[in-house]
Amino acid sequence: MEINRRQFFGIAGTMAGGALACKPKKTQAARTLKAPPDPYGCLMDITACVGCRKCEEACNRVNNLPPPQVSFDDPRPLERKRRPVVTAYTVVNRYHTGKRDQRNQLIPTFVKVQCMHCQDPGCVSACIVGALTKKDNGAVHYDASKCIGCRYCMVACPFQIPAYDYHDPLTPKVHKSTFCYHLIIKEGGKPACAVICPVEAITFGKRRQLLGLARQKIKNDPGRYLDRIYGEHEVGGTSWLYISGEPFEKLGFLDLPTRPIPHLTETIQHGMFRYMWAPLSLFAVLGGFMWTFNRKQITGDSEPERKEGSI
Amino acid sequence: MKQWKKPNTISMLAMLTVVLVSTLAVTLFKNRIDVADAVDPTQPTVAPTPIPRAWEARQTAAEHRSAEVVPLVKEVLKETPAQRRARFGDKVPQIEDIEYSYFLLNNPIIEKEGNLYGRVRFMHKKHAGILKDCFICHHHRAADPKAPDISRCSACHQDSFNAELPGRIGLKGAHHRQCMGCHKKWNRGPVGCTECHPKNVPDHTNLVKLPWNPKPTDVTKECLRCHDVQAEEMLTSTHWLWKGPSPFTEGSEKRIDLGKATKTINNFLIHIASNLPRCTSCHAGYGWKEATFDFTDKTRIDCLVCHDTSKTYVKAPLGAGMPDLKVDLVHVAKKVGKPSRKTCGSCHFSGGGEDPVKHGKLNPFLDFHSSSCDIHMGGLGFECHECHKTRNHKISGRSLALPVAEGSRSCEDCHTAIPHQGKALLNHHLNRHTEHIACTTCHNPFYAKCDPSKTFWDWSTAGNKKRKVKKDEHGMPDYDWKMGDFRWENRVKPAYAWYNGKVKRHILGDKINTEGVTVLTEPVGDIKDPNSKIYPLKFMGGIQAADAVHNYLLVPHLFGPGGYLETMDWQKSFAEGMKAAGLPYSGQYKWVETIMYIGLNHEVLPKKFALSCVQCHASLRTERSCGRCHQDKHEVDFKNLAFQGIDFKILHGKGRDVQERVESTYYIGFEKLGYKGDPILFGGRFKQLPLGWRLGSKKE
Ligand code: SF4
Ligand code: SF4
Repeated sequence: MEINRRQFFGIAGTMAGGALACKPKKTQAARTLKAPPDPYGCLMDITACVGCRKCEEACNRVNNLPPPQVSFDDPRPLERKRRPVVTAYTVVNRYHTGKRDQRNQLIPTFVKVQCMHCQDPGCVSACIVGALTKKDNGAVHYDASKCIGCRYCMVACPFQIPAYDYHDPLTPKVHKSTFCYHLIIKEGGKPACAVICPVEAITFGKRRQLLGLARQKIKNDPGRYLDRIYGEHEVGGTSWLYISGEPFEKLGFLDLPTRPIPHLTETIQHGMFRYMWAPLSLFAVLGGFMWTFNRKQITGDSEPERKEGSI
Repeated sequence: MKQWKKPNTISMLAMLTVVLVSTLAVTLFKNRIDVADAVDPTQPTVAPTPIPRAWEARQTAAEHRSAEVVPLVKEVLKETPAQRRARFGDKVPQIEDIEYSYFLLNNPIIEKEGNLYGRVRFMHKKHAGILKDCFICHHHRAADPKAPDISRCSACHQDSFNAELPGRIGLKGAHHRQCMGCHKKWNRGPVGCTECHPKNVPDHTNLVKLPWNPKPTDVTKECLRCHDVQAEEMLTSTHWLWKGPSPFTEGSEKRIDLGKATKTINNFLIHIASNLPRCTSCHAGYGWKEATFDFTDKTRIDCLVCHDTSKTYVKAPLGAGMPDLKVDLVHVAKKVGKPSRKTCGSCHFSGGGEDPVKHGKLNPFLDFHSSSCDIHMGGLGFECHECHKTRNHKISGRSLALPVAEGSRSCEDCHTAIPHQGKALLNHHLNRHTEHIACTTCHNPFYAKCDPSKTFWDWSTAGNKKRKVKKDEHGMPDYDWKMGDFRWENRVKPAYAWYNGKVKRHILGDKINTEGVTVLTEPVGDIKDPNSKIYPLKFMGGIQAADAVHNYLLVPHLFGPGGYLETMDWQKSFAEGMKAAGLPYSGQYKWVETIMYIGLNHEVLPKKFALSCVQCHASLRTERSCGRCHQDKHEVDFKNLAFQGIDFKILHGKGRDVQERVESTYYIGFEKLGYKGDPILFGGRFKQLPLGWRLGSKKE
């Protein structure tokens, strides 16, 4: 199966290459960043997170997700790297980067993973029916009623976030973090994970202000933080921002270009529609491109943990 | 239609007015009566309740403080710790400057965003005593020079994200980062959620789905729908098996089979064999009425007896653990939550058959808001599980009377081994005591504080239906023709003994002491053992039956059909009882004397009612100053120091019968513990105190 898929995508990838070569320059130059002017965001301070999984619990509760197999109080799930799935829109992963404390114990670093609510999201531009939209408040919103289940978004997302209800035969949906859209549209509302976090590792606010806060934190405590805000420029910027004391590459973060993903996806789409290619081959091309693209990121990562981490 | 409706509305309005006015009138009238009652001078003044209300003030004040939201300090003074210290000079705040030693960490600021957990009790003074530097936690001050230098956390830390002050973390984050950060850094103190907080149990009203009038096991099945793991945990717990590891029983450290269900024997109701439906009416399960009870059947677990919050759940007295038929199980199941004093107490307060019989330190009074019985439960509202930390349904804590233990708890776990904080002279001396005497020795100077407790039980005299039952001075019967003679005591001075944590235990089948008294449980310890400390203990005497040939204690069949309480025939009772216990009965019995010791770790009194120095060290009574040991300092008020502590006179005035202990000295009795006499004069157990020399040299 794996090999078949690989071969299939390999062929598709070559086709995509062809499509790209056809008309790349014009479409790319024509595109401008499609980001809301003053969106909300969340700043996650990785140095503060204690890995308590309360954010997972809160997410489960506000989204009415099914009860977990292992209780949220149980640290065992941290033993393997997880990805957001249909039943959990956010997960916390534990990394050991090799740092030790005075008692020679490995210091764990915890990273919360969820949809980054990109400023100019790949998933939104890939969605051909407009089921996914970037809202002014920053949320990348999914409207299940419009969704036709094509799953382009899943392939288009550079972070491999959207998950699909494969086991639901009747009304399958794409699942991903909602940014608690229904809460944050209200005055003073915050995402549930930011509210619950006992150590306030997650700060919710205007993205612009959070960037300032992040810079200030890094400046005030250069021993604690690396001088990098993940999400500031990655794929054109994301609403979720991370600051860390450990190199991001060691914490499962992908090293992504600063160009928004739609540059690529839209280029392909436009190119293909111009030559009236069949929708099936469109899917194949897109899929193949994104697959190889993501694959590169994953295999490029030195951490052995990544192996378990990828889906 | 319209015309008909109008008068109706009017009449309704009129009726409403009448009702309102009458309610108002009644309320006013009632208030008047109340007021009149309060000031009526003709009424005789009723003696005040024996519960001094002021004792509860600390908890109320802490609750009040935790409900306050103070104005936010917007600007803070930027200075380094060194600059700050320099600013204070030698006026750096000290532990003695602490205004409140106890806080409840909670605030409406935190609550408004919901809370998975209950509030944390924070021992402020203890932390100050350990850190010895206020500025570690109180790290900044307000820029306003008029503001106090040290302010509470919530003065600066409030909402989690304030757009005006983006760098400032909120109150919840501040608490957690400060507490956990420090605890982690020093590898000391709790870091897990439930090590500080009790967890809030979600409302089960809509979660629990039960038919009308379910069987108890149906309720458990419904619980199991979500809590199967918890049931698995329960199946291996001692509350379910009534046996388990006995790590503190001498000679049985590795055993896991001791417990009430097997070989534990006492001098109250002796043993559970053949008496199951009565004894197991306290079992956290349904229907353990025969030895064949299936201990692997999860549906027989009684979740409600521990998790009821409706306070309506009771078990039937002879029901082998089944609930009383009157209990509305659906209501109780929808109201499940954390265990409480009430639920734990439903069994533990009535050990020995009924309320206050057995323990002398656990009684229903602990459920009331009063610290005159117990500072933790009564005064500060502690629930049992706040100390008896529970993991996977294994409840920590141990007892002298019972071998099973799933972990142990001690005062030091919270109060540390140097519990008397502060630089005051007395604290230093008191902290020197903690290696040698248990906290409860001073802080629990008498037991059965609020309820008399049984201290002697003579089964041999049972059976005399004609004997007149007398009530003793506590109003308790001295005899029951079914059960023999009793002695009840109130406000009892404990027995004191060296105890290193190990217990010598008589188990069923052990040979009795044919020469004298058989000791059923006894603390292990010795004056020369550095791990031993002096502990207060309840002393329980009894006369019970032993096999005259085999020389072991006999198990009587007491309750139920054919039991002694019905047949009044000891021979039959012993034959049945020993059959159930699996030991031969020779057919001849004799009455033997037994004693057992029971620990006294609850009913701790507030610190001002601890024993004073002079209560034990009589030699200090005649001293006028510290001059015997130290160079005399005139500013020290020796009398005030040495005499500080429990005043039995006050307690006596409050209606406690402690008269014979007023002015008592030699309270714990040094000679009986192996000392030559008062250690102040004769020296401590390991070293001569610098102070004994005068008398010592005089003697020689
Ligand atoms: S992280 Fe993926 S799913 Fe989330 S907004 Fe960005 S592209 Fe879309
Ligand atoms: S709630 Fe906060 S501290 Fe806990 S795992 Fe999530 S981000 Fe980390």
